[in-house]
Amino acid sequence: MVRSILRFPSDEWIKTFKDELNKNKTYQEVAKDWEGDFLFVVTPDEELKKETVFYIDLWHGECRDAYLVKGEKQAKFVFKGPYSNWKKIIRKELDPIRGLIRGMFTVEGDSRVILDQAKAAQELVNTASMIPVVF
Amino acid sequence: MGQAVDCFFWDAAIRFDQELQFISEDIGSGITLRKPVFTIDALKKIIDRIKTARQEYLRTHDIPAVLDAIDKVNALWMNPAYQGRRTARDVLPIVTGFSVEMIESWGFDYFFDIIKKDNLPLAGKLQPNNFREFSACGDGLVKAYGKSHVTHSNYEPEVIGHICAGNILGLAAFEMVMDKLIDAATWVKVPTEEPVFGALYAKSIEEVDPLLAHSIAVLPFSSQDTLVQDYLFSQSDLVRATGGEQARRNLTTLAEKHHVPLAGHWHKFSFMVIAREFLTNHASEIAELASLDVCAWDQQGCFSPQEIYVETGGSTSPKEFAGLLAKEMEKTTRALPKGTNSGKMQVLDGYYQYFTKETMGEPVKIFPSKENLWLVIYDESNTNCEPSPLFRVIRVKPVADIRDIPQKVRPLGSFLQTVGVAIPQDRLLAFADAMGQAGATNIRTISAMTLQKAWEPWDGRFPLQELFEHDGIHWVSIDTKDIDAEIKSALKRKRSIVCEEQMRKRT
Repeated sequence: MVRSILRFPSDEWIKTFKDELNKNKTYQEVAKDWEGDFLFVVTPDEELKKETVFYIDLWHGECRDAYLVKGEKQAKFVFKGPYSNWKKIIRKELDPIRGLIRGMFTVEGDSRVILDQAKAAQELVNTASMIPVVF
Repeated sequence: MGQAVDCFFWDAAIRFDQELQFISEDIGSGITLRKPVFTIDALKKIIDRIKTARQEYLRTHDIPAVLDAIDKVNALWMNPAYQGRRTARDVLPIVTGFSVEMIESWGFDYFFDIIKKDNLPLAGKLQPNNFREFSACGDGLVKAYGKSHVTHSNYEPEVIGHICAGNILGLAAFEMVMDKLIDAATWVKVPTEEPVFGALYAKSIEEVDPLLAHSIAVLPFSSQDTLVQDYLFSQSDLVRATGGEQARRNLTTLAEKHHVPLAGHWHKFSFMVIAREFLTNHASEIAELASLDVCAWDQQGCFSPQEIYVETGGSTSPKEFAGLLAKEMEKTTRALPKGTNSGKMQVLDGYYQYFTKETMGEPVKIFPSKENLWLVIYDESNTNCEPSPLFRVIRVKPVADIRDIPQKVRPLGSFLQTVGVAIPQDRLLAFADAMGQAGATNIRTISAMTLQKAWEPWDGRFPLQELFEHDGIHWVSIDTKDIDAEIKSALKRKRSIVCEEQMRKRT
C-alpha cells in the first residue's frame, strides 16, 4: 500500500500517529502500565510561525484519542519544544529524554514517570518515524 | 599484611606499547597508594579508549539504563559492608585528615543520597524567562538573574575533563555521574590530597556496568605536570575545575591556550543567618542545627559557614545563642569528631586573639572547647564579615535586622556562595532575593549548607547545563519550599547522626 505523505504538524499526522500506534504490538507491550494523556506542544521557531498543540490520550498500551487542539486543553503531561527539535525527534536524530536533559524540550508533570517509561517513549518515537512526513 | 590501593582507573584491557611505571606511596597504617607515571603515549591510549566507549556504548545506551546503573552503584556504597566502602573507610581518614565518623556519616550516608537516581536532575537547562521570580524547581525554588548571553554551546561534548579540589569529598563521583547524563567521556584528575575515592567509585561502576565505566578514566597527576595537563586539555571539549586562586590562574591560562571552555569553581565565602523568630521557642534546636554546619567537613568546604549573623529582638540574644551553640558544638563534635588534620593551631590562635580582646574589655566573649576542638566567638567589635580560621572556629555576630546583611556582604560579590538560613517563610523570599542580587547563589536551610541537592545550581550555574552551555545567567536557589518542614526534617537527620554515632561507639 502506498502511504500518503503527511504534513507535520497537522491533524492528519496526529490521527495517523494514533492509528499506527494502535497497530504497534511492541508499543502495546512496553506501554501496558502507562496511564496518562499528553499535550505535545510544538513551539514556533524560524520555520514554524504558529504554536501547534497535539492532544494524545495514552492508556495501557492503547491510544484512545489524538487530535490537533484548537483552544484550551489540559493533560497530565505537557511535552514542549521548538519545531526544529520535534523534527529531530521524528527523524530519530534526537532521543526525547536526551532532549529533555539538554533543555531542548521541557516537560510539565512528573518527569520521573516518563523516565520509568523510557521504552514506551522510544516506541512512540519509532512509530512517529515510520509515518512519511513532510516538514 | 599491607594494603595497596590504586589511585587510578581505566579499562584494564588497554595494552600500552611500553609498560607503564607506577610509584608507591606509603601513607602509614600498612597502606600504600599506587599511582602511575603517565607518558603521553599512555594517555593517548586511555583517551582513545574512553572516546570509543562513549561512541560505541554510552551514546547508544538509554539514559534510564544509565541511571539504573548509577543507582546500583550507589546502593553498593550505601552498604557499610561493601568492599569499596571498607577500603575507603581505611584509607580516607588517613589521606584527608577527616575522622572516620565524618566520612562514614556525612560522606557516605548523606552524599550518596544526593546522587540517587530519584534526586538527579532530568532537566539540565531551565528557561530563564520562566524563572524571573522564585519558582518551583526540585523540592525548592530558583530564580534567574542576568541576561542569557550564550558564550559557549556544545550539546554533544565528546570528552569532558574534571579537575577536583581536595576539600570536597565525593566530587569525582558527582562529576562522573553528570557526564554520563550527557553522553560524554570523562577524565578526572583526582586531588593530590585525596586521590583514592574517584578510582574506587569508578571501579564500582565497572562492577555494575563495565562498558559504562570504560568511558571514564581516573588520572592522578600533579598540577605541576604541564605535559600531562597540556595533552589532556588538548583532548577535551570542556574542563570543569574546582580549586583555589593558584588553580584558577593556572587553569585559566591553560584553557585559553587550548581554546577549551573552562567551567571554574573557585574560592567562595559562605555564612549563616538566624532570624529573631527562630530565637524565641526554638533557639536550642537552631543552635543544634547550626553546629552541624560548622562541624561538617571541619569547615573545609566552600559551602561551610565562616560566620553566623544572629538577629537581635528575639527572646534569646545573639550572645546567648553563641552560648547555646557552644554546648551543641561539644555534642556534635563527639558525634562527628575532628580528624587527625585537626587544625588545633587555628583554634588556639582564635582563642588567644579573642581572649586578649575579652580581657581588654572589648565587646566579645569566647566560648571555648575544653580540648581546643572548636571555638565559638561572640563578637560585637566588628560587624563586618570576616573569614574564619576554619577547623570549627566560628564567630557569632549580632545584626539588628537581617535586611542589613545583603548590603554588608555585597563587597564580596561573586565570592559569595551559600547562605545557611533559619528565616521564616514570610521573610525568606525577600531576603533570598536581596542576597541573590548581592551575589550569593545558594540559600540553604541550616544544617544542610554542605548538602548540595542535585537539582540546585552550583555557584549560580546548573551543573548539567554548565557541561554543554555557558551563559550570563546567575541562578539562585532556595533548597526548600517550606522552611519549617525542612527544619523539622533537618533536626531529625541531625539527631539520627548523633544517635547512630553513639550506637556505633557502643558496639
